[in-house]
Amino acid sequence: MFLYLSSHSHQTDAMHGLVQASRSLHTSSQSLAPVPPLPEKGGQVRHGLIPEEFFQLLYPKTGVTGPYMLGTGLLVYMLSKEIYVINHETFVAASIATVVIYGIKKFGPSVAAFADKLNEEKVAKAQEVKDLAMTSLTQGIENEKKEQWRVDGRSMLFDAKRNNVAMLLETNYRERLHMVTNEVKRRLDYQIALQDLHRRMEQEHMVNWVEKSVVSSITPQQEKESIAKCIADLKALAKTTQARA
Amino acid sequence: MTVSLFDQFMSPTYLGIPLLALALTLPWIFFPSPTSRWLNNRLLTLQAWFINRFTQQILTPLSLGGHKWALILTSLMVFLITLNILGLLPYTFTPTTQLSLNLALAFPLWLATVLIGLRNQPTAALGHLLPEGTPTPLIPVLVIIETISLLIRPLALGVRLTANLTAGHLLMQLTSTAAFVLLSMMPAVAILTTILLFLLTLLEVAVAMIQAYVFVLLLSLYLQENV
Repeated sequence: MFLYLSSHSHQTDAMHGLVQASRSLHTSSQSLAPVPPLPEKGGQVRHGLIPEEFFQLLYPKTGVTGPYMLGTGLLVYMLSKEIYVINHETFVAASIATVVIYGIKKFGPSVAAFADKLNEEKVAKAQEVKDLAMTSLTQGIENEKKEQWRVDGRSMLFDAKRNNVAMLLETNYRERLHMVTNEVKRRLDYQIALQDLHRRMEQEHMVNWVEKSVVSSITPQQEKESIAKCIADLKALAKTTQARA
Repeated sequence: MTVSLFDQFMSPTYLGIPLLALALTLPWIFFPSPTSRWLNNRLLTLQAWFINRFTQQILTPLSLGGHKWALILTSLMVFLITLNILGLLPYTFTPTTQLSLNLALAFPLWLATVLIGLRNQPTAALGHLLPEGTPTPLIPVLVIIETISLLIRPLALGVRLTANLTAGHLLMQLTSTAAFVLLSMMPAVAILTTILLFLLTLLEVAVAMIQAYVFVLLLSLYLQENV
């Protein structure tokens, strides 16, 4: 059955296999047309054998019981005229029919459900792929919207950054200014200290020189006179104080 | 001419026209061909599922060289199962009850496995004639026995299928004849016989499927040894 070449019923017989090379397959756009959809359910049958359309056919003329009467009549006719002979095969037929009907009634719905489940799984797999693609795309849309919102706020971002940079620059400038001031002050302090040192040393030197010269200028005569004067002054003072005390 | 129990096994003819070809090829119409659609109806879905499962089951123990046999083994299985099951209906002819058909299926396929084994790996193929661990004095005897066993295989395959199906059909005919005849004489016994017939039918359905499966399974086993 797998060697059956094509199952497209709408193709002509000449399309089965490349018998004539002048007419090649799938060149006209007719083959690109979508395949007509399958009907949802198969044809309805009554009692598993007779299509529903037969009952509908007979309904206008014979009503609901028409086909059953026809069936019974046919059966009785065949039996009575011995067109169908009852022999041992009838028993075989009855027993096989029992087995088959029992099997279909018992396992029919579960087998049908299994077949439907196989199809459902196929559809679910494809649906999953589609859903995954949809969610990823909606996610992408949301991300894009967020990015656009971010872009709208970029002027505020730039202002903040600009402020930041200005502050940094300002801070840096002030630091350097401070440093420069400190350095200059240190140098000036050094000069001042140097001048102070000079003056002090000069002063000390001068004082030492004056003392030395004064000390050296005191002649011995002057020294004796000043000592005698001091003693006289002291005696006078002693007398006054003694008097007071 | 008298109707005997073996008339059901005669090759069917109608007005002198042999119908065997029809009996062998008409079961094909029961299997819808795969469509170009992605989702199919239930019958086609189940058919595809069954074929896939069966092929996977049969090919799992085979090495890669044996996978060339996938098509023939699966189609053989479907063919045999269909013929067997359809033969259970009344007034039908079962081609697999004919020894000629079964031997015609078994012999070439078995011979193919043997020749493949002898051609591709002759040492291993001949090595199968001596099971492992046999005591040394038994070796000559065992080689002869294994050779006979090897040569008997196609006969066994064919005759197994023929015998099972023929016996089943014959038994069903016998019991149904007994039930039919007893219906007028001793209806109670006829009821018992009918119950027997019913159980036999169940057995026959099982045997029909199992025998087809066993045929193909054994062939795949022979292939496994040789490929």
